[in-house]
Amino acid sequence: MPSALRHLLFIVAPLLAVFAILPSVYENHLMLFNFVVFLILAQGVNVIYGFTGYLPFGYVGFFGGGAYGFAVMVMHLHASAPVAVVVAGLAGVALGLLLSPLLRLSGAYFAIANLAAALAVLHFVANPALETITRGPYGVSLTATFNPNAAYAAALVVLALTMGAVVFLKNSRFGLALQSVREDPVSAAMAGVSVVRMRVIAWLASALIAGLAGGVYAWYVSVFFPDNVFSGTFSIFAIVFALFGGVATIVGPIVGVLLLYGVYNLIGFTTPQYFQLIYGLLIMGLVLFLPAGLVSLATRRGWHVP
Amino acid sequence: MLVYALVAGLLFGLYFSLVGIGLNLVFGVMRIVNLAHGDFLMLGAFIAVGVSALAGFDPLFAVPLAFVVFVLVGLVLYYLLVPRLQGSVDPEMLSIILFFGLSQVIEALTTIAFGTSERSIDSGELGKILAGLRVHVFGGDADGPVELLGQSFPTSWVISAAVSVVAILLVYVYLYRTRLGTLTRAVMSRREEAFATGINVDRVSAVAFGIGLGLAAIAGVFAPFMFGSVTPAFGEDATVTSFAIVVLGSLGNPLGTALGGVVYGISYMVVQTYLSSWADLLPYVLLILILLLRPSGLLGRRVRVA
Amino acid sequence: MIRKIAMALVAGLMLATPALAADPPAEIKIGTLYASSGRFASISMPVHSALKIWVDQKNAEGGVYVKAFDKKIPIKLVAYDDQSNTATASTLYNQLITQDKVDLLVADSGSVLTAPAVAIARDHKMFLFDQTGTGASFFSKDNPYIALMADPVSTIWPKPVADFLTQDGPKLGIKKIALLYSTNEFTGTQANAVRKFIKEANAPVEIVYDQGVPTETSNYTVIINNIRAKQPDAVIHLGYAPNDIAFLRNVNEVGAKFKWLFCIYPGLETELLEKNVGVKGMQHVFTYVPPSELNYPVNFGMKMPEFRALWNKTFPDGKVEFGFNAVAGYTTALVIEKTLSVATSLDQMELRRAVFSLSGQLKTLDGTFALDETGGQIGELTPLGQLEPDGKGGLKFVAVYPHDVATGKPVYPRP
Repeated sequence: MPSALRHLLFIVAPLLAVFAILPSVYENHLMLFNFVVFLILAQGVNVIYGFTGYLPFGYVGFFGGGAYGFAVMVMHLHASAPVAVVVAGLAGVALGLLLSPLLRLSGAYFAIANLAAALAVLHFVANPALETITRGPYGVSLTATFNPNAAYAAALVVLALTMGAVVFLKNSRFGLALQSVREDPVSAAMAGVSVVRMRVIAWLASALIAGLAGGVYAWYVSVFFPDNVFSGTFSIFAIVFALFGGVATIVGPIVGVLLLYGVYNLIGFTTPQYFQLIYGLLIMGLVLFLPAGLVSLATRRGWHVP
Repeated sequence: MLVYALVAGLLFGLYFSLVGIGLNLVFGVMRIVNLAHGDFLMLGAFIAVGVSALAGFDPLFAVPLAFVVFVLVGLVLYYLLVPRLQGSVDPEMLSIILFFGLSQVIEALTTIAFGTSERSIDSGELGKILAGLRVHVFGGDADGPVELLGQSFPTSWVISAAVSVVAILLVYVYLYRTRLGTLTRAVMSRREEAFATGINVDRVSAVAFGIGLGLAAIAGVFAPFMFGSVTPAFGEDATVTSFAIVVLGSLGNPLGTALGGVVYGISYMVVQTYLSSWADLLPYVLLILILLLRPSGLLGRRVRVA
Repeated sequence: MIRKIAMALVAGLMLATPALAADPPAEIKIGTLYASSGRFASISMPVHSALKIWVDQKNAEGGVYVKAFDKKIPIKLVAYDDQSNTATASTLYNQLITQDKVDLLVADSGSVLTAPAVAIARDHKMFLFDQTGTGASFFSKDNPYIALMADPVSTIWPKPVADFLTQDGPKLGIKKIALLYSTNEFTGTQANAVRKFIKEANAPVEIVYDQGVPTETSNYTVIINNIRAKQPDAVIHLGYAPNDIAFLRNVNEVGAKFKWLFCIYPGLETELLEKNVGVKGMQHVFTYVPPSELNYPVNFGMKMPEFRALWNKTFPDGKVEFGFNAVAGYTTALVIEKTLSVATSLDQMELRRAVFSLSGQLKTLDGTFALDETGGQIGELTPLGQLEPDGKGGLKFVAVYPHDVATGKPVYPRP
């Protein structure tokens, strides 16, 4: 059996099945929905950071852009929710194209520029001068499309697409070439790899993923302010989850989200006062003692991790 | 109105140079992105509040105190965190996450210790030991504003700007007129070669790290006057602003930060004068433009790749 | 006669209902969120702390009287920390409803953290006790699952300010008004309302400066200079507490002399503002007169001095300031207590009926509780007042408008 098929069959399909069944067992649907959203975002970070080494510190810009793309479609064009979600994804891609010159920057420069870009989009969308289009800082209320069950299903579809993309990267020559660019761009370019074009493709794919996620998020929550959907915690969480599990793998980000977001919800419920403290310490411990993520525990022993 | 905005921008900008310079020193020497930078500012502000409210001293006395305390804190933190971090595969990226964790820990501990309310210091307190001198030079009365070019500016701004200039000059003296400073610049420009030539890179870096945090804490002493008030959550916004300034000047060149701060301050004030509601968008747009057109900053070397 | 029979029937029904109800629960579960850190912590903690004071007080008395079971039942407060994060808040609201199955759902403070609760409560058909989320978009005729407990809706809150300027202003010589506001739901909506009221009044006053600035603005020196250039007779600044702190400090630091100056928070969080701005900087500033200064006649719950004393005893370290938000949290608690004492079951629509039945009847230390048909708070209005030196180095409130509650004359221009 080709490894791509094996990955789809033994990792992606069970994950989707579990999250499709869970809502009938566990009643806090929004928590499950958030798990799905963070799975999507962590894998989106994986696509760009894991395979190219660009850390998208302002990843939430695409997410928020998608959410507002959805909102504008529903408010002004009275589009149906699925159409609006597609537009949300395209809004992400459009933003990605606009920001693609940032890929010329390296390392921390890119991360910081990306963060600035996300904040710029936030302040743009939230500007009262755009009140007639985005409702500015006053927030949107999308009662017309309110349907959490359908939005949850849509989130699963987006998750499936995202997982498909990661499986493709992991098993294709394209993905391998990307990783070779990450390790050593100069030799890759000499070997005939079109470095710039490939990076842009990965960047746009990752923007599309976040845009779609923003769209389904807007569909699900229906009432939100710019601060909500552009909250920096989306970027940080997605990055930390992906790193915690281990990037450039299929299972790493999944493990990261399930464990860390699980812990987040657990300590948030039981020891609220020390929530932020414990979380901060956990993140620091991760970087210092497990910088290559949980999967490195296995790879160090020589086991293969998909 | 324009003259007023320009002078206010200059004063504001000089202060912002001090806000950013510590961050840049740390990045320049260690290639570490200190996302907890703003939190050290916040802690400096709390020291000033303590010195003023509890002991009744002029907050200016908090400047040496905050500096010494945070140089020591910096040394301890350096040896706890950085050598381990530098041993990992991608320290520049991982530092972003490590220091994000640290900022969470600091915010949580400060909240637990001091609560969440806004805190500040009466603006008449700052520089009260110098009030006599000031009246002598600028005229006016002891607790009134300072008159410059026929217009009135807050006294605290003038003092903050003056202290900032002194601090930046001292950084210059340290970097260009002392042995340790020369070594620091050597590490900044060629870290690997510095290792090879037998420079004790760890010691040089630890001192730079300590000075970086100390400068942040000094800037924090003036934060209650420049921002009205501070809360434990203040650090996050301060970090982002600091990045804008640092990148404007040029990442890795502490003296470029002085220019970056002034450019930031003046453009902010001019936009606030003529297009108030867009003022918050400006720094980010400026940041992205600078990064794309002159990615090394206004005063930097080339950093682009492929 | 018919009325008497009807009343007897109703009374009989009301007596009969408790007997029909199921076994009383061991505790009444009230679910809420608070923000212990982040941007909204400073408005959320006082509200939440007040709610906790009430819960402890009632539980010490053996619980709260619940009409549905005709007995006192202890309260269990299920409270989670959302850290000012709306995504977390959404999950936690859902947790409260679906996992903890709380009997009553109370929102976190402020419009931003209330927003996710509005949609979720409606979806689960839970009645939302909205504490201080004043956003106009929350209240609509097609959503019966919400009512605002403790602050007036933003659309009518600034009415006394605008009325004073249009009615009394011209007599004092006020002609030109400057309006500066932070662009967020809370103050942006109030600014719209001010503009509308002034326009509708057709008075000989005009708005010569009308500017929104980002809520994150912490520096007003340049803006104050711009306002000065327009030479307004009156300046209205609408912002959150940190905005007011920075604005008032800057006004004093540059020595700007505005003849008439209004800010929201000197009245709402007087202690916090005094600590941060200083008494001198707040003299003669116009603001909302908080309920703590008015000593409203109370027909339910503690009077202001008692509540104040209990607060100081509970929080001696001063980490949580006493102010308008503390009163707001306690007001919510009183509405809940009264609701439980009249609701004939814990069914959500019955809770709604009970809450609305209190409208115009319930008088707490926050004033008269009154709702419009959408659940927006239209009672508990705060009069316009001015902060005057009390002769002992502190400040006192002088209510100036509306005239029927006025305790003195406005000082104009500010000296």
